[in-house]
Amino acid sequence: MLDKIEQIVKNFNSEIETATQKDIFEEIRNKYFSRKGFIAELFDDFKQLPKDEKPKYGQLLNQTKNELNAIFEKHFGHYSSKNLESSFNLDLTLPPKIENLGTKHILNQTLLEIKDIFKGLGFSIYDGPELESDYYNFEALNFPEDHPARDMQDTFFVNKTFLLRTHTSPVQARLMQSTKPPIRALIPGKVYRNEAISAKSYCLFHQVEGLFIDKDVTFAELTGTLIYFTKQYFGENVKYRFRPSFFPFTEPSSEVDIWWQPKGKPGRWLEILGCGMVDPNVLEFNGIDSEDYSGYAFGLGIERMTMLKYGIDDIRIFFDNDKRFLKQF
Amino acid sequence: MLISLKWLNDYIDLSDVSINKIEEKLTASGLEVEEIIDYKSKFNNIVVGFVESSEKHPDSDHLSICSVSDGNSIFNVICGASNVAKGQKVAFAKVGAIVPNGNFEIKKAKIRGVNSEGMLCSESELGLSENHSGIIIFDESAEIGKNIASHLQLDDVSFEISITPNRADALSHIGVARDLAALFNKNIKLPEINYQPITKNITDFAKVIIENSSDCPRYSAILMKDVKIQESPKWLKDRLKTIGLRSINNIVDVTNYVMYEIGQPLHAFDLDNLSQRTIIIKNASENETFITLDSKSHKLKSNNLMIYDAEKPVAIAGIMGGENSEVTPNTKNILIESAFFNQSSIRKTAKQLGISTDASYRFERKTNPEVTIWAAKRAAQLIQQIAGGSILDGFLDVYPNPIEEKIVEVRFARIYKILGYSIEKNTIKDIFLKLGFVFLSDNNDFLKIKIPLSRPDIEREIDLIEEVARIYGFENIPEIVRINVTLNKKVDQTSLREKVRDIFVGLDLNEIITNSLLNKETAEKLGNPINLLNPQSSEMTHARPTLFAGMLQTISRNLKVKENNLKLYEIGHVFNQIKPEIVNFTDFQEIDSVLFAITGFSANGEWYQSKEKFDIYSLKGIAESLVQNIIPNKKIRFEYFTEANYHFEYGFILKIEQKEIGKGGKVKSDICKFFDVKQDVFAFETSINNLEMEAEERKFKTLLKFPKIQKDMAFIIEKSVTSEEVEKVIKKGSSNLLKNIKLFDIFEGEAIGKNMKSLAFQLDYYNEQRTLTEEEVDKEFWQAIEKVKTELKAELRGN
Repeated sequence: MLDKIEQIVKNFNSEIETATQKDIFEEIRNKYFSRKGFIAELFDDFKQLPKDEKPKYGQLLNQTKNELNAIFEKHFGHYSSKNLESSFNLDLTLPPKIENLGTKHILNQTLLEIKDIFKGLGFSIYDGPELESDYYNFEALNFPEDHPARDMQDTFFVNKTFLLRTHTSPVQARLMQSTKPPIRALIPGKVYRNEAISAKSYCLFHQVEGLFIDKDVTFAELTGTLIYFTKQYFGENVKYRFRPSFFPFTEPSSEVDIWWQPKGKPGRWLEILGCGMVDPNVLEFNGIDSEDYSGYAFGLGIERMTMLKYGIDDIRIFFDNDKRFLKQF
Repeated sequence: MLISLKWLNDYIDLSDVSINKIEEKLTASGLEVEEIIDYKSKFNNIVVGFVESSEKHPDSDHLSICSVSDGNSIFNVICGASNVAKGQKVAFAKVGAIVPNGNFEIKKAKIRGVNSEGMLCSESELGLSENHSGIIIFDESAEIGKNIASHLQLDDVSFEISITPNRADALSHIGVARDLAALFNKNIKLPEINYQPITKNITDFAKVIIENSSDCPRYSAILMKDVKIQESPKWLKDRLKTIGLRSINNIVDVTNYVMYEIGQPLHAFDLDNLSQRTIIIKNASENETFITLDSKSHKLKSNNLMIYDAEKPVAIAGIMGGENSEVTPNTKNILIESAFFNQSSIRKTAKQLGISTDASYRFERKTNPEVTIWAAKRAAQLIQQIAGGSILDGFLDVYPNPIEEKIVEVRFARIYKILGYSIEKNTIKDIFLKLGFVFLSDNNDFLKIKIPLSRPDIEREIDLIEEVARIYGFENIPEIVRINVTLNKKVDQTSLREKVRDIFVGLDLNEIITNSLLNKETAEKLGNPINLLNPQSSEMTHARPTLFAGMLQTISRNLKVKENNLKLYEIGHVFNQIKPEIVNFTDFQEIDSVLFAITGFSANGEWYQSKEKFDIYSLKGIAESLVQNIIPNKKIRFEYFTEANYHFEYGFILKIEQKEIGKGGKVKSDICKFFDVKQDVFAFETSINNLEMEAEERKFKTLLKFPKIQKDMAFIIEKSVTSEEVEKVIKKGSSNLLKNIKLFDIFEGEAIGKNMKSLAFQLDYYNEQRTLTEEEVDKEFWQAIEKVKTELKAELRGN
């Protein structure tokens, strides 16, 4: 008898839990509570019991019947008041049950976009240390001993020979020394500058560096590649210019400016990246014959690209990590 | 640097070229024009006005109410200057004018109840000088209503040019003119030097001795007698004004003028203050003090190059002259110094003494040793024109080891190979010739070129190729629109990082990027950070040893804006010092760390569920998801974390086989407190490297073909027994038909008894070959129950 009661309760519970349609509720009502239902059947069994066992089961049966009834009404009531079937009974203005997605930091989203463009052009992605040696950061990149960048004013030093890298270019030197051309690499990462924190500058930023070394790499290929990139990132109609500049590790060197005109403001040229043909001194220093091989390199700042694209005017907001900011992207 | 258009026209005829074209070409050749200053438009709406009347303001002691005419109308203007009076011709800024100093617009205003429609300006307000003692009063001849730029003949245009450090040659008007000559295919002409010297032997009057010829390879000088120190003529003042220089006196102004003309810094000494009329170039004595002409005292070091007379120091070489020998109103006889100093010597001294001057700026970038005498003579000629006096014949010139011009070859084929575009040979040759280069040989394959000493940046073939490219114009080299890609193996060393981000996004975590530099106290509290030699501020002295600091700072900042429920992650490099001194890359550890943290409520009180706080189990869930996604085929184990010194009050280690992948726990409350975080924070830390070592490809597992049978069991057991222990015993008591165990309920309470708990498990039984029968599963099921009962003193619940 006891086993039978337990089995019925168990079955009832599992059926009522999963019921989501009116028909099913009716079916359950019939199955358990009708004159030929399981509960009625239990009471029939009860009548057959020996007299001395009756008091024990009588109470239990009544209790079970009431409990099951209550559970049924609760589920059925819940169903009819709130759920499904007829939308007249639903309050669809209630807020939804929340299912959130997280976010990638906007700077990494920009990086992802840039990586995607260059991966399409056959670039591999490489990584390197942020705590670098003077050798890779400066010497291997044709910075003369007394170059102003090697002063304390621009670079965070740990000691005479170690420093926080000021650009991602040391990875260029590492790649040239460890890999045979062709080298077609994109190198993203954090870089550091000894600058006070303000709306315009931060002590660190994220850079992406590109390097291509092979036979017959030309300046015309560099400009072609970067024009393609600029149009991909800023749109087909972007107005750009290549402007000669100077970097110790490239020659000829250039900067790329785009014409920038926020709504209602006067336009101006804004620098977005630096580039050039890898200086033969850099190739030779890192073990590549500069007569046989040539190459180009370029570098751009992810913060700057992001600020331009989204109209952000204070670099510090990237590193404040206010959830209200993080969730916008 | 400012370059004046009128001034350029002295050397190159630009009358047929528009200002915009000049700007465009200069920028396109590497001399970036940052701004064009057009003085005429700068003084728009500022005209010569006539003061018709002037009366005291009734409500003010110092204000006057003036009626000012611009020739057409009369305006009411309130003026605060004490020197205003009826009948004056004044600088009148009308409504709409922008006052240059302060950059504010003149609007109609009411001043103490009286209308004012303009402003009368002082020289300082117009940015003409620092004189702000009163308004400008023009002489009688000034034409009323005329724009003051025209009246003052300030109708020049200047270009603000940003010059890259390699282009020392472009730090002068002649230097810029030379680039323009190549860009517009024009010729330049240098001013002629033509004066009548007095025939006295200059060496009888003065002598020059170089003791340190490596830091001073050349020293030239010219002497002048009986000059008259006075104000400079207007043309000279105007020239200096358009390039932003203040006029001092006629001698100093000429030395500045010539520097901006040819790029050679000059210094004029009062010859009568040079003991024995002797110049000695040598290093300073250690700790010697010297007072420069700006009356500042400097303590010198023995590596500072100085100019001495026979007894005392008289100038810091190439940087600034001394008070003791400067030109004063009483000066009669002068020595004009025109020297060539070693660039790094000047840079070191200027930096060490914290002085930067127009002269040091040029010497640091390397001047042209060839032009010292030309520049000195040019200055002497101009001084004679405006200050009288006579120039002694000849010059002093010590140049023990003349510097030779470099000879560089450039192959036409190489130009093509680097640029990827074929430029005509004659065009290339024209570019070089206009830049002042001389061909030593010229054939079909290459040019052998002598490089003038004004271009120290040109030493190699590639430097000449760059000259061709920048003068020809980058925009005229057509870009390639089809590229070749070598079919190499593709590498992406950042792919796992991206995958981790993808997983976190799916788990509703927000990525943060925090500053890698921390203050000492914070950094040392959390690890063995690396100390910076030259921090920017005391807040950023160490490279972070962990991502915990940035995470807790971020949480703290968000709590302040009432963002209390946070799920955040960061991926970034952390640095720990291993050896006391960093000499090698092995003396420190740089790890690409991964940290995520959760705090506040997971369910923040919604209509369909009650509030629930994050806890260690929420943390375990995220950690497991992350790791299992990357390492899908191996089983994860959790162990108790017991290291008391770490940042966790309690926690767990996540392992794959025997290898620790990461650790998580509740962050110690004293650490939270340090960051002003007053709620529980749970954090899990791993690294890209740890994940990468174990990362594996997913394997396909065949799907179940036969139905599985599920059974539930629940035990009452002592609280000290872990669920993992119970699972182990269940497994021990079962055959391989048991495929999965899941804990689905825990219950504690009076009804069960103190120190006891109830654990309920769901067990999945399955056989790959056939459908299982209830009987065989029942047998297994009861065996397992018996095992748990006997081994763990458990009591079966319910049944």
